[in-house]
Amino acid sequence: MVLGVSFVDQLSTALVIGVITGGVYALVALGLVLVYKASGVFNFAQAEFGTVAVYAAYAALEFAGLPYGIALLVGVSAGVAMGLATERLIIRPLFDAPRVTLLVATAGVALLVIGVQFWRANDPALRVLAPISNELERVRVFGISVSDQRIVILLVLAATAAGLALFFRSPGGLAVLAASQEPTAAELVGVSVRRVSSLTWGVAALLGSLAGLLSAPISNFSPGFLTAGASGALIPGFTGAVIGGMTSMPGAVVGGLLVGIVESLGGLNALEGIPGARSLLVFASLLVVLLVRPQGLLGRAAA
Amino acid sequence: MALLEVRDLVVGYGPHPVLHGVSLDIEAGETCVLFGLNGAGKTTTVSAIAGLLAPSSGTITFDGQPIAGRPAAALVASGISLSPEGRRVFARLTVEQNLQLGGWVRRKDAAVARTQRQLVFDYFPRLAERGDQVAGTLSGGEQQMLAIGRALMSQPRLLLVDEASLGLSPTVARTVFEVMDRINDDGTTVLIVEQNAGVLPYADRVLIMEKGTLVFTGVGDEIRDADLRSTYLGA
Repeated sequence: MVLGVSFVDQLSTALVIGVITGGVYALVALGLVLVYKASGVFNFAQAEFGTVAVYAAYAALEFAGLPYGIALLVGVSAGVAMGLATERLIIRPLFDAPRVTLLVATAGVALLVIGVQFWRANDPALRVLAPISNELERVRVFGISVSDQRIVILLVLAATAAGLALFFRSPGGLAVLAASQEPTAAELVGVSVRRVSSLTWGVAALLGSLAGLLSAPISNFSPGFLTAGASGALIPGFTGAVIGGMTSMPGAVVGGLLVGIVESLGGLNALEGIPGARSLLVFASLLVVLLVRPQGLLGRAAA
Repeated sequence: MALLEVRDLVVGYGPHPVLHGVSLDIEAGETCVLFGLNGAGKTTTVSAIAGLLAPSSGTITFDGQPIAGRPAAALVASGISLSPEGRRVFARLTVEQNLQLGGWVRRKDAAVARTQRQLVFDYFPRLAERGDQVAGTLSGGEQQMLAIGRALMSQPRLLLVDEASLGLSPTVARTVFEVMDRINDDGTTVLIVEQNAGVLPYADRVLIMEKGTLVFTGVGDEIRDADLRSTYLGA
């Protein structure tokens, strides 16, 4: 009996931790889906918007001595500036190039930025960004304390997801869809495809920045931390976005949270003997979803 | 002064010009037909007028204002609207959403949107029945109607329609021409790019292009008298 109870305990712990980790994945997934919906590009630089934001905020906080709120703003501004610059310097000149070229180009942007971080900021390699609040035990779910920082992540996720869903129901959202489906016709009705492109990359970079700034304080950060490594959210974010259907905002949230949960189930004691159980479970569930519902959980079948 | 005046227009893709100095006038209130075979430069001409292509030289004047080189998104607000070659409807959006986007530059004026939408449904009752249908699932004729309807939503003074009848059955093509005629009667100046001689009875002015230059311009009886088909269209 004791074993059984502890298994339930483990499950509920895994669920809570999974939702929390998944929250960051979902934020990254939302940014990926936004850019994909608007320009058909798989953006491998999405998580780097977040890392850059974190380094900028850290510098503002530690070196310039700015207040925490201002430092976060500096971080967001740096992330968004990187998004806009990526759009202007890389995406727009390659507007008519095959999408796979753009995919490689965004991967190049990510590698370049990570390279610069290793070059300029690798000593010390591990840094710590202060959390928004140090309170760790205010909220308890299934007997597990959830820190304020993690609560903030989930609240920000809910707010941004709702905001994006509303936006895509508004005339502005319609214009974004129009620009992605038929750029020439969009220009002809008066929608500036360039402005739409800047807007979507700017908002995607904002989402990436939030993912970075909110998740960095949970452990420490290092060059490229949000793209790869133990706290990497890019590949889980992609997985979540694909599971959710790649074009659906609610799908990105559900997919991101699912990946977080499945991944943390891989940490159950019962799976202790299997090395890499976490990744194994995540990719197995991705395969299952794609086999059963190729368009993703909330995606629409290709028209 | 004509509503649209094009002078010595040279347009090319890359270094090679497709149009070699085209000059034409379109008077307010008329239906003008731009004829020619594939590759004659018709689409290039209307694309330059609508702002999709920047001319390398020459002038385009609309209602007294020079507009050459201004982007399409700006020109639609000044009253030039193009229903493009290949229709280019927003395939994954509904008919209603396509029309809503057509009125993008007038979106702050709900009354205009309502009036134009009613007008479009009046011209093309079929679109009213298909309001919630995704545009990509419409028939070719319906997509053409939607493309023209979308172009009308901005309440243009000059409506350009590129390849109005391409790929349509003769019956549907005639319906489209008849509606274009009504649109013109209701006060909109119309330029139709065509290869289908069935449009001729509706034309006030006919322009014929060959290899990037205008080889014939005629109004009224000149259109009826000239043997356009055998001389220029190889038919």
